[in-house]
Amino acid sequence: MASITSKLYSDDVSLLVVLLDTNPFLWSGENTTTNSLSFPKFLTHVFSFLNSILLLNQLNQVVVIATGLNSCDYIYDSSSSPTTVESLENGRMPALCSKLLQNLEEFLARDQELNKDESPPGIASSLLSGSLSLALCYIQKVFRSGPLHPQPRILCLQGSSDGPEQYVAIMNAIFSAQRSMVPIDACVIGAQHSAFLQQASYITGGVYLKPPQLDGLFQYLSTVFSTDLQSRSFLQLPKPVGVDFRASCFCHKKTIDMGYICSVCLSIFCKHHKKCSTCGGHYLVSCKISGFQV
Amino acid sequence: MPQVKIIAKNFMDMVAALPAMKLDKLYDNTFICEAVLRSLPPLAKKYALQMLYIDVPVPVKSMEEWVLPDGFSKHRVAIDRLIQLRVFIENTDRKRETSYLLHPKFKSNLQKYLVYGGVLPREPMPSNITVRLPTLEELDAYALEQWECFLLQLISSSHAERLTNFSPSMMKVFQRGLLSQREKGPRLTESGFQFLLMDTNAQLWYIIREYISNSEDRGLDPADLISFLLELSFHATGEAYNINTLTEIQRSIIKDLADLGVVKLQQGRKESWFIPTKLATNLSVSLSDSSSRKQGLVVVETNFRMYAYSSSKLHCEILRLFSRVEYQLPNLIVGAITKESLYNAFENGITAEQASINMPLALESLLLFFFQSCRNIFFTSRSNILIGLKSSLVVGVPRFWMVWCLNFLYFLVYGFMGFTHLPQEGIGMIAPVN
Repeated sequence: MASITSKLYSDDVSLLVVLLDTNPFLWSGENTTTNSLSFPKFLTHVFSFLNSILLLNQLNQVVVIATGLNSCDYIYDSSSSPTTVESLENGRMPALCSKLLQNLEEFLARDQELNKDESPPGIASSLLSGSLSLALCYIQKVFRSGPLHPQPRILCLQGSSDGPEQYVAIMNAIFSAQRSMVPIDACVIGAQHSAFLQQASYITGGVYLKPPQLDGLFQYLSTVFSTDLQSRSFLQLPKPVGVDFRASCFCHKKTIDMGYICSVCLSIFCKHHKKCSTCGGHYLVSCKISGFQV
Repeated sequence: MPQVKIIAKNFMDMVAALPAMKLDKLYDNTFICEAVLRSLPPLAKKYALQMLYIDVPVPVKSMEEWVLPDGFSKHRVAIDRLIQLRVFIENTDRKRETSYLLHPKFKSNLQKYLVYGGVLPREPMPSNITVRLPTLEELDAYALEQWECFLLQLISSSHAERLTNFSPSMMKVFQRGLLSQREKGPRLTESGFQFLLMDTNAQLWYIIREYISNSEDRGLDPADLISFLLELSFHATGEAYNINTLTEIQRSIIKDLADLGVVKLQQGRKESWFIPTKLATNLSVSLSDSSSRKQGLVVVETNFRMYAYSSSKLHCEILRLFSRVEYQLPNLIVGAITKESLYNAFENGITAEQASINMPLALESLLLFFFQSCRNIFFTSRSNILIGLKSSLVVGVPRFWMVWCLNFLYFLVYGFMGFTHLPQEGIGMIAPVN
C-alpha cells in the first residue's frame, strides 16, 4: 500500500526492532502450535536471526522489546553494548545472548509482579500496543539523530491472540508508522491469524507470514525478514491473502461488522449513542453503517 | 560519482582474481568470510544467508523465482559476484542443469558466527600495562593528521611539512595514475583530481589496492596482506593490541599502516602495541557511509573571491588547483577564481562539474555557467547558458538577480572576446526559461 521505497536509502544499513511475545500463557503449552516450539528453542532461533542481521552489515542495529502481559520494556540494544567477546575458549556465552537473557529474566519477574492481583480468563493477550509505541518512539529518536541514519523497520514475533481492547491504540500506532514510512513485518507463531498484524503489514507495506513449520523458524526469518528495505522491491515476498479489516467498537471493545460511526471524529460504536464519547458531538439522526473498509 | 564505486570495488575484484586454491585458503579465516559477505551487494548477501543451512544444491531456475521480473538484472549481478568470489560453487549434473551450493568452509565459518556472534581476532592488552591510551578524539585527530600528511606528500612533495617513511619508489607507485609528469613538474591528472574529491574511505582503499598490487615485487604474498588487512578491520577502535602477537610480515606491514594513519604505534616499558584508529575499523564498511571528513565552509562571492574556512593544508592545495590563493590566515584561506587559474585547471583536465562540487550550492550555478562559458568559448561551440539558468532556478536564486548577473557576465565575456566567438544559440538578453 504505502510505497516504502519512496524514501530513498542509498545503502543497506538497517535498524531492526524486534517485538518478542513473552506471554506466559502462550508459551506454557496450552496452545497447540507452540507445543512443537518451546520458548528456549524459540529463543535460539531468534538469537541466530539477530546475529545474522548484525553479520550483514557492520552498522546494522538491533533492538529487542519484550511484549509482556501487563508491561513492555526494552531488553536489548546492540548499539549500546559491544557485541564481540575476546574469546570463547573458557565456555562463556556470547555477549548478545547473556545480556539479552539477563534482561529478559528481570523483565519477566517484574511483569509477573504486576500480574499477582488478577487472574485473566483463558489466554490473555499480550500488550502489543505498548511495545509498538515503544518501538516507534525509539525509531523517532533515531530519525532525529542526524541525516545519516539506518533504515528502520519493526518485526513482530507474536503468538497471542488479538485483544480488541487494544484496537484503538494499535491502529494509532499503525497509522503513525505509515506516516513515518516504517514497515511493520509480522511473523505469527500462534495458532490463529492475527487481524491486527495483517492490517499493520498491509497498511505500512510490511510482510505478514504465518510459518507452517515452526521447527524451521530461523530459515523463514532469514529468507523473508532479513532483507533491507531497498532490496525488498525486487524480491518475491509473501503477499497478503485477504486481510481482516473488522474493527472493534469503542464502547465495549467487541469486534463488530456493522455499527454506528460518529460523523465528526469517525469513532465506531455498536449501539446508537446520543453523544460521542470521543469528541462530544451530539446527534439527531441515527443510521447504521456496515462493512468497514480502510 | 560512479568512479568511486569502481575503484573501491576493485579491492574485492583483487580478492576474486586470486587463484582458486589461494581463495579457498583465505576462506579458512572467519574474518575474511565476514568481510567478503559484507562487501557483497545486498541481494547477494541475502542469497548467501539463505543458503547457509541448505545442504542440497539449489537449481538456478528456482533461484530465479526468488526475484520479481524487474529485479532480474540485480539478480544476475548478485549471482555473478557470488560466483566470482567463489562463494557460490556451480554444479552441473548429468541433466545439464546447473545448481549452486555454498562454499563449504565459508558456510561453516558463518554458521559459527550465527551461533556464537562476533569474536575479536586477538585480546586487547590489560590496562595495567598500557599507560595513557589516547582518547577516541585524540586518536581521530591523529589518524586525520597522518592521512593528510600522506596525501600532501602524494600530490606535492614540496609542500609537505613532514615526510612519511615511505620510500620514494613506493610514493611513485602510489602517484602512478594520479600525477603526470609535465615540463614544469608533476601535475595532477583528472583521475587524480577525482581521487582527491573522494571520501577518505575510498581513498584509503585505492592506496591499499596499489600497495597490495605492488607487494609481489617486494616478496610479500598478496593473500597474506589481504587477510591481515581484513582482520584488522574487526579490531576494536581505541584498544591496544600487543605487537608480539603479529608475525614478521605483519609487523612490517603495521609500520607502513602507521604512516597512513590506520594504526597508532606506542611503546611501553617492555612491550609495544598498536591501536587501530577509525580508519582501520572502517575498512570493511560500505562506501556510502559517512567518513571522517573534515568539515569546512567555502563561500564564493559574485566577484569570484573565495573564502574557505579551513586550516587544512590539503584543502589549500586542492583550492590552489583551480583558484589563485591570495593569503592564508590561521583559520581562513582567501583566494580568487581567475581566468588564468581556470585555464590551468582545464589544461589539467578538471571539468566544470568537479570544480563546482566544492562550492556551496547557492552559487554553484553561477560558477558552473562561468566555467562552462569559458570552456565553451575556447573549446566547443555549444551553449550551456540555458543549463546554467535552469540549475539556478532549481537552487532558488532570485530570478531577477540571476538574469542580471548572467547578462553582466555575458557582456564581460563577449566584450573581452570581441563578439567573434559567439555561441550558436541564445544571443542577447536572456529571459528566464521555465
